[in-house]
Amino acid sequence: MIVLLCLESPRPGRASHAALALAGSLAGNAQVVALSAGGPRDSASLGLARACPALARVIHLDDATLDQADFMTMGMVLAEAARHLGAGLVMAGERSDDEGQGLVPAALAHHLHAHLLARVRAVRLAEADDTVEVILQAGGQLCTVASPSPLVVTVPAQPGAPAVPAGSAAHDVETLTLAGIGLDASRLVPRPDLLGALVPAPGEPRREMTLAEAAAALARHR
Amino acid sequence: MADAAGATVYALFAVGDLPQSRIDQLASEISAAGADRILCSSADALAGPALDATHGPLLASVAERLRPVLFLFPAGGAGTQLGPPLAVRIGAAFLDNASVAIVRHEAAPDPPVERVVLTRWRAARDGQRRVDVGDFERPVVASLPCGLATETLGAAYAEVEMVPCPEPGPRGPRLLTAERDAAATAETCSALLWSTVPLDASARARLPNPLPAGAAVADGAAAALLAAASPVEVFVWSSAPEDTAPPWLLAPGTLLAHVRRETEVPA
Repeated sequence: MIVLLCLESPRPGRASHAALALAGSLAGNAQVVALSAGGPRDSASLGLARACPALARVIHLDDATLDQADFMTMGMVLAEAARHLGAGLVMAGERSDDEGQGLVPAALAHHLHAHLLARVRAVRLAEADDTVEVILQAGGQLCTVASPSPLVVTVPAQPGAPAVPAGSAAHDVETLTLAGIGLDASRLVPRPDLLGALVPAPGEPRREMTLAEAAAALARHR
Repeated sequence: MADAAGATVYALFAVGDLPQSRIDQLASEISAAGADRILCSSADALAGPALDATHGPLLASVAERLRPVLFLFPAGGAGTQLGPPLAVRIGAAFLDNASVAIVRHEAAPDPPVERVVLTRWRAARDGQRRVDVGDFERPVVASLPCGLATETLGAAYAEVEMVPCPEPGPRGPRLLTAERDAAATAETCSALLWSTVPLDASARARLPNPLPAGAAVADGAAAALLAAASPVEVFVWSSAPEDTAPPWLLAPGTLLAHVRRETEVPA
């Protein structure tokens, strides 16, 4: 099976690091391919992927229009790239460290006509068929779920997770173009970003208290 | 808030095959909490965890029928599983861990109107995104922080309208096993003491024992594994400079306080 790891550009967020670590753990049973759409060829995302020995290929989807793409367009482009590469499992960080909406993976799954599973902690690939087993958090439970491919999973940031193993491997970066995956860049119509108005962060003075005060506050939450 | 804005609140239950008496009991509770109308879909496909593959088609069909301007998920991770795919399907904005407020809008000579405004932090915490639901021209999907209702808002009127659950596709995910998630309590608490280092025995002894239902402690490895929580009060117990705030998104207006160690000298 081909596992496609989508890394946001130009910088990988904390959730993307967790997704890369999880995708790398599948390298024994699958061909793990990292893809970063937009941004420069020497981006931090591609640099991180190049240094990860578990990856089989590192691909840069290179088109300047992707740098301004809304989440729906980015999801559609990534879905076409997943089809082009024959990916059975697509992995991504749950949300970026910038806007943090977490909508690109949902748009990707929508355009790929694939199921989306979020809050994924572990992934196992069945050897016999195209089934993917994941452990995820949902409804107050840790659930093991089996799903046929194609499947899109998102991985939350894990502060305590080990760092992505970096080795001496320095993969060449392959370049894909939108035309190469069957898309006409001139027909990518910008859509409303649906982000809402950006307002300045309110000043939040640092509050301090004693443990006794914190304990009293906890006791009020009955 | 719905009363102030002249809106109707629909509550939707998506449950497994429950007896009618249990559905009526749930409806009574949620009606007393303020719902104006109650919808319920009861099917085997909805008995498991709330995943987009099982629950998403139902949410989309209800959204198609009611065309709500605002679709709210409770705290606890359901919004993360179900919110983004629903927003994509219905062309809505999505605000995770949002605060909701009624803002009085003066536009003389017209009479003032009450606007429903949602706000969330950008993940970078360098600004906030704000959506005025009345002005947005698109529906809005949002998840809320975890708070506790302090009073009964409505009558325990339990008339329930049953809605059909769309048949799941033949190649959907299958639940193999499920066990209690140790992080669940912290993810659905309204007040959280959070520490990346384990609390020592003397600190634990000074906390309420047992902790009340709405409070939780996440320390040591449990704190590191906690990837989603939305309490309205967070108490950070740490001396590490990088631990001034937990790494997940907090809703705007959340109380964030640093708990001093006895060995620390107040500034």
